Amino acid sequence: MCRRLSLDVEKFQECTRLAVCQSLLFLPGRCSWISLPVMALAPPSPQFVLRGSQSAVNTLHFSCRSKAHSPPLLFSGSLGGLIHVWNLETRRVDTTLDGHAGQSVYWVKTLEGQHLLLSQGRDLKLCLWDLAEGRNAPVDSLSLDSVGFCKGSVLTEGTQGCWLLAVPGKDMDEVQVLDMPSKTSVCTLKPEAGAKVGMPMCLELWKPASSSGPLLLAGYEDGSVILWDVSERSVLSRLACHEEPVMSLDFDSGRARGVSGSSEKVLCVWSLDEQQNLKVCRTQELTNPGIADVAIRPDGKILATAGWDHRIRLFGWKQLKPLAVLDYHSAAVHCVAFSDPGRPGEQLLAGGSKDQRISVWSVYNQT
Amino acid sequence: MAVFDSPQEAFGILRPVCIQLTKTQTVENVERLQSKLHVVSDSALQDLQEYVLFPLRFALKTPGTKRESLVQSIVECITFVLSTTCIKKQDLLQELFSELCLCLSSPNSQQSAPVSEELKLAVVQGLHTLMHSAYGDIILSLYQPCTLPHLGFAISLLLTLAEQEKSKQIKTSALKCLQVLLLQCDCQDHPKLLDDIETKQLGDLLASFLPGISTALTRIITGDFKQGHVIIISALKVFYKTVGFIMADEQLARIPKDKEKPSVEHRIAELMVHRDANWVKNTGDKLAALIEKIVEFVSVHPHWKARMELIELVQDLLMKCRQSLLKSVGHLLKVLVGLVNDENPDVQCRCNNVLKNFADQRIVVESRALTDILSENLHSLATALPRLMSSQDDQGKYSTLLLLLGYLKLLGPKVNFVLHSVAHLHRLSKALIQVLELDVTDVKIVEERRWGPDGLAESSSSLSEPPLFKSKSQRKYFRFFTDERIFLLLREICRMLGYYGDLYLLVDHFTELYNESVIYRKQAAMILNELIAGAAGIEVEVLHETNSRASAEELKEIITSILEEYISQKNWYLVTSNEAEGNREELTMKHSDLQTITSGVHTCHLVPLPSSSELSPIVCSMNSNIWQICIQLEGIGCFAHALGIEFRLLLMSALYPVLEKAGDKTLLISQVATGTMVDICHACAYDSPRDLINHNADYLVNEISLNLHQMSLSSHTPIVLEIMFQNSDAGLLPLVEDVIQDVLFSLDQFHDERAASFLSVLRTVLAALARWFPEAKDDKQLQEQNFRKEKYDLHQGSATLGKGFAFTTPAEEIEQFLLDYLRNKDVADGNVSDADNEEEQPLPPETEMNDVCPDVEASLPVQTQIAKDVMERCIHLLSDKDLKTRLKVLDVLELCVTVLQSHENQLLPMVHRAWLPLVHRLTNDDPLAVLRAFKVLCTLGNKCGDFLRNRFCKDILPKLAVSLATQAPVSARAGPVYSHTLAFKLQLAVLQGLGSLCKKLDLGGGDLNKVADACLIYLSAKQPMKLQEAARSVFLHLMKVDPDTTWFILNELHCPLLYEPPHPSLHPVSLSGMAKPRTEYTDNVLLLLAELQG
Repeated sequence: MCRRLSLDVEKFQECTRLAVCQSLLFLPGRCSWISLPVMALAPPSPQFVLRGSQSAVNTLHFSCRSKAHSPPLLFSGSLGGLIHVWNLETRRVDTTLDGHAGQSVYWVKTLEGQHLLLSQGRDLKLCLWDLAEGRNAPVDSLSLDSVGFCKGSVLTEGTQGCWLLAVPGKDMDEVQVLDMPSKTSVCTLKPEAGAKVGMPMCLELWKPASSSGPLLLAGYEDGSVILWDVSERSVLSRLACHEEPVMSLDFDSGRARGVSGSSEKVLCVWSLDEQQNLKVCRTQELTNPGIADVAIRPDGKILATAGWDHRIRLFGWKQLKPLAVLDYHSAAVHCVAFSDPGRPGEQLLAGGSKDQRISVWSVYNQT
Repeated sequence: MAVFDSPQEAFGILRPVCIQLTKTQTVENVERLQSKLHVVSDSALQDLQEYVLFPLRFALKTPGTKRESLVQSIVECITFVLSTTCIKKQDLLQELFSELCLCLSSPNSQQSAPVSEELKLAVVQGLHTLMHSAYGDIILSLYQPCTLPHLGFAISLLLTLAEQEKSKQIKTSALKCLQVLLLQCDCQDHPKLLDDIETKQLGDLLASFLPGISTALTRIITGDFKQGHVIIISALKVFYKTVGFIMADEQLARIPKDKEKPSVEHRIAELMVHRDANWVKNTGDKLAALIEKIVEFVSVHPHWKARMELIELVQDLLMKCRQSLLKSVGHLLKVLVGLVNDENPDVQCRCNNVLKNFADQRIVVESRALTDILSENLHSLATALPRLMSSQDDQGKYSTLLLLLGYLKLLGPKVNFVLHSVAHLHRLSKALIQVLELDVTDVKIVEERRWGPDGLAESSSSLSEPPLFKSKSQRKYFRFFTDERIFLLLREICRMLGYYGDLYLLVDHFTELYNESVIYRKQAAMILNELIAGAAGIEVEVLHETNSRASAEELKEIITSILEEYISQKNWYLVTSNEAEGNREELTMKHSDLQTITSGVHTCHLVPLPSSSELSPIVCSMNSNIWQICIQLEGIGCFAHALGIEFRLLLMSALYPVLEKAGDKTLLISQVATGTMVDICHACAYDSPRDLINHNADYLVNEISLNLHQMSLSSHTPIVLEIMFQNSDAGLLPLVEDVIQDVLFSLDQFHDERAASFLSVLRTVLAALARWFPEAKDDKQLQEQNFRKEKYDLHQGSATLGKGFAFTTPAEEIEQFLLDYLRNKDVADGNVSDADNEEEQPLPPETEMNDVCPDVEASLPVQTQIAKDVMERCIHLLSDKDLKTRLKVLDVLELCVTVLQSHENQLLPMVHRAWLPLVHRLTNDDPLAVLRAFKVLCTLGNKCGDFLRNRFCKDILPKLAVSLATQAPVSARAGPVYSHTLAFKLQLAVLQGLGSLCKKLDLGGGDLNKVADACLIYLSAKQPMKLQEAARSVFLHLMKVDPDTTWFILNELHCPLLYEPPHPSLHPVSLSGMAKPRTEYTDNVLLLLAELQG
């Protein structure tokens, strides 16, 4: 399993997707699997769809909260190696950034408003872009050693312009934490020799209000989630919650609860107690296996998942109550993202798919 | 005549006549005096003034009755003296004044004496001159409390003259004189202006006469129409000068509270008035009644100069006395408001200036009282408006609305005071809504349909035509008026409201009305459109600049919300025709729209129209719905203009609905929608609708795709998709790729109900693809052509060989021919020499390379993939049970083949699969389908060439030959009508296509013979000309494929020449056509043979 994944996860996903398609055949049509409390009348449709990325969309990132007069933006990284900057007002591409030599871009993230952009690509490079005043060239880049698909994670420190970056490290099961922009390594987090967790699959850096040091949540290839104390370089807790690799996780630090999805059918919600122990508090069975991405809305009310079965699913985050199935895409959904909380009623959800489209939804905004 | 300058000389001359006059008072003596006076210089006369006046005055004062002529000449003489001199003594002035006045009075009655008109005129002119000859302050001595009775007498005298005399001259002079008497003369001879105190004293004094003067003048003004405008003008002038002087706010402000102690005797003091607040109020009230009368009368006076003077009156009074005449301000303003659009341009202009002047001085805006009055007027007008609108004729309505417009203009930003009162707003909006009710009984609008493909591109490719919002292309018909001017006026009123009014409030209110009932909806939408235009300041003539207007951001917000309302499901998709388009979705849609219909019916019942009692209510409501949509479309155009380039952002929601309507079947709607697009182009700086669509294809695609996902709503989606494809270029393709997949998916799911509309979409898509990617076609064709040409040359070569055979040196050629033949035979048998192989070697690698590329599926260009997918569906749908569908499928199929032609590896397998159903279409189907299928076959032959040869020969050729043969006798016998039948068309098509088909398919011997056999019959002269031509074309093609055989076949039929063998050892040539007499085939055969030889 490890070998195969590290060889080519894309191929692997493709295989799984085929299986998913077969399982689709046994579904009773293309209808939703639960009754929708709000939109029971008609299946919801996206507010709009962004076309023109011209290859599969791997990752999405909203940037709406910024100074006045600059429109809300959506960044998308595509399989073709381009980063598109979508203007959500005109619903068109403002800028296209090409900095990964045609290699798939699988993580984008803005820092300090809309101007600094981080992007991570399959060319084993992490680029830092300065987009102020219409610039469109990378100002800095960092070579990565891992060939996996693990997205990085960023934690902005208090001091101006300094931030922590977690990326998969040189060894297969390693996570490297760097101090940016100086690029000095803070530490390398490597599980004990016998742990056999495999590669890290997803990372989430965060800093609890109580504790002093930053913590890191990492999902691994063997299906376990490990909580690291970055400053102590020690494992605080390990939770084996999936049978298959953890594809994505998101953490709600307010409620000290997180969620992870894997290539299997189960969505797992776990919580963190005072003793910094992770424990499963709920699992949710899905119709079809394969969750590419999970995202909790910044207001902590909604959870969205991106499914290999072409669908985006919405859950109430508190009770994990299924709310809706957003059925629009015609290929696997690779990523979901929520916009920063703007005015109430204007929180958007975006899903990027292999079918090269990005669907933008305005759902459950009344609450 | 000599002039006597020195007083001495003058005295010498005047003395005798004066003495004479003193002695005997006759007209002659007066005249003598006057004639002498003429020769005396002014300065001399000034010195002798009193001396000369004495005999004259003496004559007047002499007791006893005098002849009128004498009095008259005396008065004239005095007037002459006064006109050249000035009076420097108060006494003299007063005495002369009273003496002159007395001339016209009978001593014992109040009435003026019954004297001749000449005398009256002379006296009046005398008084006039007297007033002007008073020197400096002397004149003021006339205006002392003690002289009040005299003054009063003179004034009443003059008023009586002005009122009661018949002669116009007297009347005008009397009025002029009165004006002078009231010290309001407007001539240049009064250099000295009164100071404040004097003014006040004079005002106090004259105030006593105000009631008398004003009532008398009012009587004069409102008297007979026939008295002429000159008198009215003078009277008006005196009126406003007097009132404006006595009631001037400036003066009144300085009046002390308490009455001063009168310094004159009691009797006179009683006459004096004190202009305290109480007096001002009472007088103001009374004057208001008079002014109202005057205003009412003069504002409709037929002569424009009278109306002009009225404006002066209003201007003067409003400037000077708006506080004291508070009660009249309403009436006065009404004049301005009403005359602002007077038919006379001078009046209009003057009125506008006055209004502007007021506006500039911010008189209305800053005076709360005035605003109140105006709003009160506006309110009462709004209240009366509905009644007036239904009772007045068009002219009446016009002036009423003019008034309304004037009030709005005058109120300016203060109009919000009125609008903020719920009652006022309701009145106003109800009135507007009522007036704007449309007449929806015209059946034509419902019936006029748009036929044929979309003419969007050509109809509006040039933007030279003026934008729609300027010249409303379609005239609207209203229930309550027919005059177009009224509509324009109403528009201006709405714009004015939008310009000054609180836009949020108004838009809210009218949106509410819009949603309240179908009855109001159209009018409310019309008003909303104009409000926005007004708010954006489009074509608004304003008096006040306002800074409270909505900002661009607010405007955008408001427009967005109205737009949302307009294009919402329930307001945009209305039933406009009762054509059932035959698919289920439409029906269900109809069902959901039933409510609209029923409510429409409701409208018709609510306002029963006498003329339309027999019209079905359905037609009514459909007409109403059509207008509704048109008005909303116009609105969108209007919004675009209001926002300008900013509207581009709204295109993401607005463009799709507009395009939908541009493709609507109802003519009017599609026209208006096209106009709206032109509007949008103008506003958003696009060159043409095509440009507009092209630049915003992404927004359209988004809407289309979302709609395709919700099938129930998308009955219009195919239309939009079609229009979009017609107007875009290849750059669109990446965007629509997934939409086309959606279409195919929908087609798969709903092919029963929606196949027709989707097939037309697919046809558009493929036509566009064929247009966008022609280069591949060119390459291939070029190649093909070259190839054919080579082959043709080869044949030509052999043909010339054959021909040359008989005439030129035969031996070597025969030898060469035999050698060639042997070698070809060797090649055919497979005995290929190495040398031959070498020649062909460069070719294989090339073909290999070509072969390798298409094998990689992923590298297929998008257009090819699409064409392939579409062709797949066509294969299934070729055997659809609906003929129309089959026909459409055949069209699409043909286009698919065109697009796929450069990808043989994709094309041929598809053709293989399509073959069988196609054969069915060709062999046993409706003639229409056969015809179309044959066209497809020709295209296929063109693109696939020999791939089809065997199939064609096996499956189709026999049947074609048979049908041609069986049909031939029919056409040979048929009359001229036959050429309109389907059978003829089929024959023609087959004959026209068959030739090139044979060439493309490269048919061989036996099959060619079959073709030739089948076509031979059509060379008969009995066949219709067109068929003969077509048959000849078949043979022309056959000649190119195989000239020898063709030559032989033709000669078999008819041989014009005898062929002598060149050598006796050869058999004589015998052809069955030899030496035959002329037959029905002869002409055509000869033509063809000539072609073959030439």
